[in-house]
Amino acid sequence: MILKTKDLTKHFGGLTAVSKVDLQVEEGQIHAIIGPNGAGKTTFFNMLTGELPVSAGSVFFKEKNITGLKPHQIARTGIGRSFQQNKLFLNLTVLENVRLAEHAHHKGHFNFFRHFLFFNPPLEKAMQILEELEMEEIAALKAGELSHGQQRTLEVAMALAAEPELLLLDEPTSGMSPDEAVKMIRLLKKLGDQLTMIVIEHNMSLVMSISSDITVLYQGSVIASGKPSDIADNPEVRKAYLGGQA
Amino acid sequence: MIEAALGKKKPLIDREIIVLAVILLFLPFVLPYKSLTPEILIYALGAVAFNILLGYTGMLSFGQGALFGAGAYMTGLVLIHLQIHPLLALLCGCLIGAATAFIIGFFSIRQVGIYFVMLTLAFNQLVYFIVYQWKGLTGGDDGLLDVPRPDFSIFPGIEIPIQTNLQFFLFVMVIFILAVIVIRRILNSSFGRVLVAIKENPERAAAIGYNIQHYKLASFVVSGFFTGLAGGLYALFMRMVPITAVELFTSTDFIIMSLLGGLGSLYGPIAGAVIIKIASEIVSEIWARWLLVMGVTFIVCILFMPGGVWGLVTAVIEKRKAASMQALRSQ
Repeated sequence: MILKTKDLTKHFGGLTAVSKVDLQVEEGQIHAIIGPNGAGKTTFFNMLTGELPVSAGSVFFKEKNITGLKPHQIARTGIGRSFQQNKLFLNLTVLENVRLAEHAHHKGHFNFFRHFLFFNPPLEKAMQILEELEMEEIAALKAGELSHGQQRTLEVAMALAAEPELLLLDEPTSGMSPDEAVKMIRLLKKLGDQLTMIVIEHNMSLVMSISSDITVLYQGSVIASGKPSDIADNPEVRKAYLGGQA
Repeated sequence: MIEAALGKKKPLIDREIIVLAVILLFLPFVLPYKSLTPEILIYALGAVAFNILLGYTGMLSFGQGALFGAGAYMTGLVLIHLQIHPLLALLCGCLIGAATAFIIGFFSIRQVGIYFVMLTLAFNQLVYFIVYQWKGLTGGDDGLLDVPRPDFSIFPGIEIPIQTNLQFFLFVMVIFILAVIVIRRILNSSFGRVLVAIKENPERAAAIGYNIQHYKLASFVVSGFFTGLAGGLYALFMRMVPITAVELFTSTDFIIMSLLGGLGSLYGPIAGAVIIKIASEIVSEIWARWLLVMGVTFIVCILFMPGGVWGLVTAVIEKRKAASMQALRSQ
């Protein structure tokens, strides 16, 4: 069990965005979280990574309670994430974005007097990640100059820099053209061989083709959880998605 | 690829620094008032130190006057009461500037945006009133008078005189250049790159594993160290510390110089300080209400030159480069 949540809950004032969610993710899984808009998927992610404080319940990563830790502390335990909206360092180059993400996990990032280019390991690792994702050619472009699809890929590259054991991806293909989405799916499949992933996604063909397990959220609660084939046939899921006309 | 994406490794001293030193060296000979030149460099140093916060970390601090004043009073006080080596007195100014910045920063960085700005402003006023009330130590309203400016020796036998305007200018210039070299290296260090990341997107910087509160606080302390140094030099320059040194207006001076010169680079605030100090000297002789002219100029600059004077200069240079490349290609 790499990640476990117990009764995880988030209230915003009187609104309960996420209600008592129990999620268990085994090592090596690609676990998809699906659900209609407003189901609480991103809120759930933000609680896992410390971006939002938890109202109730707890999060365990590798049996360790990480509830209430700050985002940078959780990032260092081995959880990497990408964001639903691109959150990049737009005025910095692609390589610098990845190098910064990488250097947080190496020595010397608080060094005042050494020129940053003298730290070779993070630099080499960043180049290696760009090569793996076939982004070498755009390394010198500013992140703000990239196409949307390229920015989504850079999001994943930065999440990978942390060498995470668990990767959380928030709608990796959102806003992508079909061609770009196909590339992304191929990339995610490849990454799925190396690490555990939790993916929030709307693109059902992507979900069905890559995930080993699916959890369906509806109005903040889990209404179904299981293998892709079970979920596809689940009447409650159909109801939630199709508005009761199943 | 690395060079295209990240630039070159810069040695501590390169052409940029030498060009800067040469330009500054000419200042006292082209300006009408010799006593103005040390003051320009002192303010330029304060503006550069302020720009570490606004231009690189993205924090608009109105507390720089408190740091400048702390450095000035500390340097003045140790020179008056302990008669120590001037360089040691300056170091005291740096340290008190850094310590004051630590305290102001510690509380202020817990907030962002307008609340952060108001906190730094409130701290500046707090320090001002402490100085104002503590007459026995600081001289209160009258300022701290009779700060000595003794000659000193670095090695036994080599006496450095700093009495005349030119001598003192050279002394300030050497310290200024050294400070710029160190600040440039700090901004190009791995630490400095994280500051830029925080300015760009603090949420993301935290998500990839940086403790942004530590970085912001350290950025404050570094800025305080060099602002304190500028304050110490000011005490030596004036041979006293006027209470205006610790006023809010000192903070806004640094802000205006940085904005006018350009936030994006190390050299923008230097250009801003040079322009504002010279212009205010010349315009104030012609018209007593010169601040009005400054105000209008400032508004025009902010509206039409968001990159500041330095941004304009680099844009022109780049355009020329692009044009000559074009010409080469069409041949």
